[in-house]
Amino acid sequence: MLATTEAEARGVVGASAGTPADSHHLVIRDIIKKYRDLTVLDTLNMAIGKGEIVSLLGPSGCGKTTLLRAIAGLTDTSAGSIKLAGREITRVAAHRRNVGVVFQSYALFPHLTVAENIAFGLKARGAPRAEIPDRVAASLRMVRMTDLADRSITALSGGQQQRVAVARALVVEPELLLLDEPFSALDRKLRETMQVELKSLLRDKGMTAIFVTHDQEEALALSNRIAVMNRGRIEQFADPVTLYEKPATGFVLEFVGLSTRVSGRVTSAADGQVQIETAYGPLQGRGKFAPGASVIAAVRPELISVARDGESGTGNAITIPLQDVMCLGSKTHLYGTARDSDLIVAEISGTAPLAQFTPGQSVALTWPSDSTLVFPAQGQ
Amino acid sequence: MTALERLARVVSWAVAAFVIIFLLTPIIVTLLVSFTSSSVYTLPPPQWSTKWFASLADKDGLWDALLLSLNLAFISTTIALVLGTTTALAVSRGRFPGREAIATFSVSPLMMPGLVVGVALLQFFRSLGINDAYFTLMLAHVVVTLPFVMRTLLAAFGSFDYTLLDAARTLGMPYGQAVLRVMVPALSPAFLTAGLFAFLASMDNYPVSIFLTDARNKTLPVKMLQYLEESPDPSIAAISSGLIMLALLALMLGSRTVGLNRMIQG
Amino acid sequence: MSAEAITASVSQLAPVAKERDRFALLALPGLLYLGILFALPLLILLVKSLINAEGDLSLAGYAAFFSDPFNLSVFWRTLRVALLTTLLSLVLAYPTAFAMVRAGGWILTLMLVAMVLPLSVGVIVKAFSWSIVLRSNGIVNQALMGLGLVDEPVRLLFTETALVFGAANIFLPFMVLPIYAVVRQLDPNLSGAAATLGSGPLRTFLTVTLPLTLPGIIAGVAFVFSLAVSMYVIPSLIVGERHQNLAMMIARAFLFLRNEQLGSVIAVVLLAIATAVVFSSALLLRLVERRQR
Repeated sequence: MLATTEAEARGVVGASAGTPADSHHLVIRDIIKKYRDLTVLDTLNMAIGKGEIVSLLGPSGCGKTTLLRAIAGLTDTSAGSIKLAGREITRVAAHRRNVGVVFQSYALFPHLTVAENIAFGLKARGAPRAEIPDRVAASLRMVRMTDLADRSITALSGGQQQRVAVARALVVEPELLLLDEPFSALDRKLRETMQVELKSLLRDKGMTAIFVTHDQEEALALSNRIAVMNRGRIEQFADPVTLYEKPATGFVLEFVGLSTRVSGRVTSAADGQVQIETAYGPLQGRGKFAPGASVIAAVRPELISVARDGESGTGNAITIPLQDVMCLGSKTHLYGTARDSDLIVAEISGTAPLAQFTPGQSVALTWPSDSTLVFPAQGQ
Repeated sequence: MTALERLARVVSWAVAAFVIIFLLTPIIVTLLVSFTSSSVYTLPPPQWSTKWFASLADKDGLWDALLLSLNLAFISTTIALVLGTTTALAVSRGRFPGREAIATFSVSPLMMPGLVVGVALLQFFRSLGINDAYFTLMLAHVVVTLPFVMRTLLAAFGSFDYTLLDAARTLGMPYGQAVLRVMVPALSPAFLTAGLFAFLASMDNYPVSIFLTDARNKTLPVKMLQYLEESPDPSIAAISSGLIMLALLALMLGSRTVGLNRMIQG
Repeated sequence: MSAEAITASVSQLAPVAKERDRFALLALPGLLYLGILFALPLLILLVKSLINAEGDLSLAGYAAFFSDPFNLSVFWRTLRVALLTTLLSLVLAYPTAFAMVRAGGWILTLMLVAMVLPLSVGVIVKAFSWSIVLRSNGIVNQALMGLGLVDEPVRLLFTETALVFGAANIFLPFMVLPIYAVVRQLDPNLSGAAATLGSGPLRTFLTVTLPLTLPGIIAGVAFVFSLAVSMYVIPSLIVGERHQNLAMMIARAFLFLRNEQLGSVIAVVLLAIATAVVFSSALLLRLVERRQR
């Protein structure tokens, strides 16, 4: 993979060509957060445009919620700056930042009704008394909760609570909306419905939003761009296609989408191409590595062709016994018998492979060398 | 955090620190005074001595009072636990009208002036011709302990997951047995706490007991107040220190078996 | 459908008519016991105080009691001391409860022990130790003189201030624990949510935190006030006969003056105060909790 600077490759700077980072709606510069000796946020940089919907995706403990809270002003940062709509808000108290938050547990006020919850922000900001009932009513209509205006919070279902939480945050027209795993408490079917609803709601309002999630499908479905985080750093910040086809690091490769990955050692390198020796035979890929380096060679499953042993194709090829054939409705996954922590999986659309291949059979997997991604092994 | 929030946090810590010192001061003072060599309560003591503890052995009627109090506490607590369990179970599980009223009623003696209850019981027993001090004391102490038991058990039963009992019953256990063998063990911290508070309430009770004691049956608090009036010397402090040690022991026991935080927080 | 909704509907299916009666029966022993040995004697006391020497119903006893200015002063003093004690306890307990929730590990254990150990030690021991602390040669005076705030020992014992502090000291755990129990259950994200909606710290406290902790405050205040209004041992040891309260008058009437009529009247007055506290606090709690249901 070729990149002029690491930052560009990771997509952290310059969301659209030629736009200087500072004119973005939200600019995060060199944010560091330390708890005693533990660095939770490690020099983070990010720029988001107005109206963009962005996800922070990563495993638990990667710092995504901490970053969200730092942007909201609920957690102090150790160093760095945050600018929203051109205004420096790093040292500004949370209640003056005009950043809306939808919490994972919704954090609705239990002693207030639905309507009172929504009115809370309006009252706190000193909105004219006469206006409040209309704005609350409009907000209730927006999330289709008009009938439940006077209901107590505790009598609502999970989905209803979520809608109130969103309405409450949006009614005060914040500059930015932050959502911390807003769908995690809902069951699958409801989740999908709410995702669609929320996305169109945000689009209608032109609201800039940042989601925190650990579910890559959710991130892929909702966002213009995704920041994949790991251990306090942003590994890559790009649109879903780029993340999938051109992952910047091995972590992104593994976290976003499925992939075949095998470990090996570089035998020779020239002109941006490397030869790798693996337990399954030699492979070729793109990358800059010194001979002898331990690497991981990877490729996306849908790019692999599967044929019966003996038939040949062009590019990289390995022949291995088939371990499993898994039908997933619209596609089939074929798993090869891999060693150690390697994963060998090919994806074929349709259900034909079920009839064609059986576990135990020896198969030949081929794919273009140019599609082979190479990353350093371990400690990414 | 804003400056105001920071200030509020500092103030709350300062107040909490003061409160801890405030609450523990009498305890520490008593412990210190009980080891003094002088017959007056001066601090710091001129010299350390355990003579006041030794003097307790000769204290007239102390042993009898202690035994009586322990006796009353144990038995009344046990009765209160049984009565409390059945009542709390009925209130938390039943659907009959007036449950809330019964719950409030059973806890209300806590908020009634003990002295008044003592007076009322004295006149009540006398009009019925019941004169045995021990018997009347026992009956009265159940009235003292039962509300403490009810308060703890009502909360615990209210948050108990009754599907555990349903599971036991589908496995063949009759209801009563299910309660005894599933619910009681599961709620053992609550029972322990309830029993502990009830026991202490009985041991410590003065206002009700003072009216029902007679020359031969004096509970420990009554006896101690008597000592204070007759001969206020540090031997009282020694008795108090003994009680403090007992309390510390009970707390340590509680922290080993159930966990201190859990125990106090129910 | 949420988990709670399902559980609620299932549990409504559970008790059948026969089971309903069975549970009512379970409540009977406890109810009967308290009914006969608590409610009944109090009722008899009340009735007796309303019957004069001739056997007629009369409020003469009460009239006589309230017409005596000394009695009135004792009455007001009792209420005043109880109110001050409750206020002081509340002011100290409220911040402490929040500190406890934020504390962890050994600090929390220390605080819990500080709450519970004094409870287990007994009123007499505590009141007694306070009287030691407040003496002319006690540590408070020693500290005051040591700090140079006073030149000679201040008379602390036998003052109403000492009584309020001593009583607050003894009743403080009963104010802290109910408030602590409520604060513990507060969603920590609520104040954050209020802030992101534009509510500054003071506003958040007044509109979110305070209303939500109100049940704990009401429970604590009711309990401490009723304890403080009827305390006997503590004032006996700290202020003595000089600043009698109603409870001390009752004891005196029965144990020394042998005037049972007077004693009964005062007892009923005290009982009325306590009952009023119980009812009003229960009502307030119901009101507050209905809002949060």
